[in-house]
Amino acid sequence: MSLAIPKESLEVTLAQLSHAGVKTRNEDSIGIRQPSGYLQSTKGIAAVIADGVSAAEGGKEASEICVQGFLNDYFSTPDSWSVKKSGGVIFNALNRWLYSRGMQYTKNTQGYVSTMSAIVLKSRSAYIFHVGDTRIYRVRNNSIEQLTKDHAVAVGDGQTYLTRAMGLDTRLDIDYQCIDIEQGDLFFLSSDGIHDAMSMIELTAIITNQKISLDQRCQQLHELAMDKHSRDNLSCQLIHVDTLPTFNKDEFCRQLTQLPFPPLLLPGQRLDNYLIEKELHSSNRSQVYLVKDTDNRHLIMKTPSPNYSDDAAYIERFILESWIGDRVSSSNVVKIHQPSQPPTALYYLTEYINGITLSQWMKENPRPAVNDVISLVSQISKGIRALHRKDIIHQDIKPDNIIIDSNGVPKILDFGSCLARGICEISVPVERELVLGTADYSAPEHVLKRPINHQSDLYSLALITYEALAGKPAFKGGLVRSNKVKDFLALEYKPSHDYNPLIPHWVDGAIKKALHFRPELRYTELDEFIFDLQNPNKEFANPIQKPLIERATVKFWKLACAALLLSHLLWLL
Amino acid sequence: MNTDRLNIANLRDPSIRTLHLTWVAFFITFVVWFSHAPLLAFIKDAFQLSSQEVKALLILNVALTIPSRIVIGMLVDKYGPRIVFSSLLLASSFLCWGFALANSYEQLALFRFLSGFVGAGFVIGIRLVGEWFPARQVGIAEGIYGGWGNFGSAAAAITLPSLAVAFGGEDGWRYALACTGVLAFFYSFIFYWRARNTPKGATYFKPKRSGGLEVSYKVDLIFYLAMNIPMYIALAVLVWKLSPVNLGLLTANAALGINCILGVLFIIQFYQILSINMSVFKEQAAAIDHYKFKQVAILNWAYFVTFGSELAVVSMLPLFFMDTFELTPVTAGLLASGFAFMNLIARPGGGWLSDKFGRRTTLSILIVGLTVGYMVLSLVDNTWFLPAVVIATMACSFFVQAGEGAVFAIVPLVKRRMTGQIAGMTGAYGNVGGVVYLTVLSFVDISTFFLVIAGSAAICFIFVQFLDEPEGHTAEIMPDGSVQLIDVS
Repeated sequence: MSLAIPKESLEVTLAQLSHAGVKTRNEDSIGIRQPSGYLQSTKGIAAVIADGVSAAEGGKEASEICVQGFLNDYFSTPDSWSVKKSGGVIFNALNRWLYSRGMQYTKNTQGYVSTMSAIVLKSRSAYIFHVGDTRIYRVRNNSIEQLTKDHAVAVGDGQTYLTRAMGLDTRLDIDYQCIDIEQGDLFFLSSDGIHDAMSMIELTAIITNQKISLDQRCQQLHELAMDKHSRDNLSCQLIHVDTLPTFNKDEFCRQLTQLPFPPLLLPGQRLDNYLIEKELHSSNRSQVYLVKDTDNRHLIMKTPSPNYSDDAAYIERFILESWIGDRVSSSNVVKIHQPSQPPTALYYLTEYINGITLSQWMKENPRPAVNDVISLVSQISKGIRALHRKDIIHQDIKPDNIIIDSNGVPKILDFGSCLARGICEISVPVERELVLGTADYSAPEHVLKRPINHQSDLYSLALITYEALAGKPAFKGGLVRSNKVKDFLALEYKPSHDYNPLIPHWVDGAIKKALHFRPELRYTELDEFIFDLQNPNKEFANPIQKPLIERATVKFWKLACAALLLSHLLWLL
Repeated sequence: MNTDRLNIANLRDPSIRTLHLTWVAFFITFVVWFSHAPLLAFIKDAFQLSSQEVKALLILNVALTIPSRIVIGMLVDKYGPRIVFSSLLLASSFLCWGFALANSYEQLALFRFLSGFVGAGFVIGIRLVGEWFPARQVGIAEGIYGGWGNFGSAAAAITLPSLAVAFGGEDGWRYALACTGVLAFFYSFIFYWRARNTPKGATYFKPKRSGGLEVSYKVDLIFYLAMNIPMYIALAVLVWKLSPVNLGLLTANAALGINCILGVLFIIQFYQILSINMSVFKEQAAAIDHYKFKQVAILNWAYFVTFGSELAVVSMLPLFFMDTFELTPVTAGLLASGFAFMNLIARPGGGWLSDKFGRRTTLSILIVGLTVGYMVLSLVDNTWFLPAVVIATMACSFFVQAGEGAVFAIVPLVKRRMTGQIAGMTGAYGNVGGVVYLTVLSFVDISTFFLVIAGSAAICFIFVQFLDEPEGHTAEIMPDGSVQLIDVS
């Protein structure tokens, strides 16, 4: 089952030019890649400009590494990744690579340092990544706007000094922004050899001159820069947005509805080589069956509910479920099973796991060993991280969506609520469904419709950890009733060791931290949470084990004073 | 585990528990809504009412339901079924007590008019049951909900006159009514305590806007706008009926004021429908969204004659029996309950027949049946043998209620995505039918009243012939159990 993606692609006209100018070596590098079909839909069109720092030995090589590296690696990132994630990962990787190359030199004037600006046009947005003093401009309705900010300071004598560049330091701050694009937008990328050599008016006059082609405009910029005695390499790129992907709902829906909805199936019936054994679960959104294939292997079949047979947003999401499952590979995430022949109806198959859900497990183990729970949670977190690595947020981590197989390995089920950022960036002609999660197990930001990130899954995992350990839901089950900010702030956290004294204080401390209302005050990463569950963190130590002076400073000094007073009085007597 | 059949005795299943909780809530709203009908004999005596005044009460009772459905629908969107149904029950208990304590015709009229609000409870339960049942069972579950709930009017007819007599005295009927209020009062808390909006642990998705219906063609937009006019006409006729020209319950100024409000509402609704559907003028709707509005309109009219006539007949039948056959209120109520009694099986049965024997054929036959049934009822007079009359009413009511079931079996097949809106509009049409038929009753004698219903049903039969059988992919089960999907569209 392939994802339905609007067929009409973004149409652009491109031109670029790079020239050494008066210098002997051209240390600028430029590159544009415009793939077609699926790759363009999921990844877009990318243009990169880099200006190797001439003071550094490897300037030319550095800029080449940046441009080639970006254009190759960006299009190899998983299709589920958002542009932001892809760009960020590649920029950081290139930076480390340049830095490590540079470390081989002893003098700091040598090394591999380059500026780098990249723009990705995908669907109806432009994504900009920028480090250094190369620039990206946008021309819209004949007015020009510089989208990037130079990371450079003038040090007099016409010299500038780069405050940020690729390869300078292991730490890298990347300027990122995402803007909407419109038909007729013109994006212009240039190195300082061009934009420092002329005034904005001269620059604008040339790049908006519609009488000549984009190539000719690049040529004219080059000539003007030469006339103005530009001392640097000359590079520029122009991207004109001819047409945006149009929204043809008919075409989009035709792709979605290529396969009919299967009917409601009964045991004994057979759909495409799969014998229905029984219905395991059904809701008003879907049916889940236990089926057997021709080799007598058990599989799980999920079919869409006929309630949604004409709801394009639902169908897109249903297809996305198996698409997501296909992209995640982890022993803690259930595997999608590829059908042996093309399916004749809309459904998908997953491996059958003979086991119990975590909710059943919690019922059967009301007083589990703390270590067992922590081991389960750390395995579940591995599954969640496998999703996060693909830039997918599960959004519905709950005990019913986790199944523990006969070997005790927990696996995450159900991608029906997942948020795949890379797909969200592709505009579609229907209004997408908004997942609000499950009342008992979703983070406040779901209910409050605030931005979701991977820390929302962490929150859900922490809720599960609490419930599995304490045998009671966190916040005394008050999450279900919370709809407004003040409801969430009023929630009372009852320490889990109040229910189960065997739970160490530091374990409870870790859970409490992961359950913070504000995502930025939770753990940044799932790993840190798991680490704190497995290793005592002093911050959360049992207050009784701390010295009195730390536990209750004021009380300690009061007591001390009282004791002194008493001893004085005794002495006087 | 789950099959097409619904094990309604399995109380360990939370969805079955919810179904029972919900139909009982709806049942109580129906008891409250039609508590006046079997007690009219007492009320008529206590207040020395003319028969025109009695008929006005009957119409008032169903009038407010038409606009209330929209209000209740919006409240459910915002607050969820649980709290809305509980609040409605709580409010209805006070309306009951208000009506029971009334000491003038104006007060009776006011509380009867406000009780119309209670009649809009149907919408809430439909939403709740839809949340709790998967596609396989939702049809039968909603059939049970609707049918058993509607049985509330029969329960009222059976019990309330006896209860009034048991309390005795000239205020017995007041105590009987107050009892229904007590029932509603307590049940509102039970419902709030036990019912939940969604199954535990269900994943929420942001609900879609449930505004007006979207149509696919320009012609359909005009059709849709035209279909909204009868609702306003029905309400305007009612205002006229109450104005000084007629009954004089409203002053001329009040009548004018209400008509102005209706006018404003009419303009607002037209504007909303147009704004949702402006796109039909610009471009053709996407193929996935296409449907024919005539399907909705035909179902609306079919519900008009089925549910509309049921509302009207349930309101007037006890008094009719008592007057015609000189019965005691208790016996009259008991015999008249036969009309609503059939709801228990006829309504779910109608859906089943429709699935089994084809939608249009089933609906056509049922409408022919009820046309004949009402024609027979129009012939009833005091020379008839009483058991024959009861059998005639029960036979007629079977066709009426099976017709209701058949209509609601087709509603989800018109356009899945807009089932909620289509069901809402169809339900509203049922109420318009009630108002229209009761207004007719206030002008003509009872025999003509039944003939008018039969006549309108005959016209509706013609409409139903234009109904398209719902189409789409169907699946064929081969002898070896393999499922073959056939594209019939």
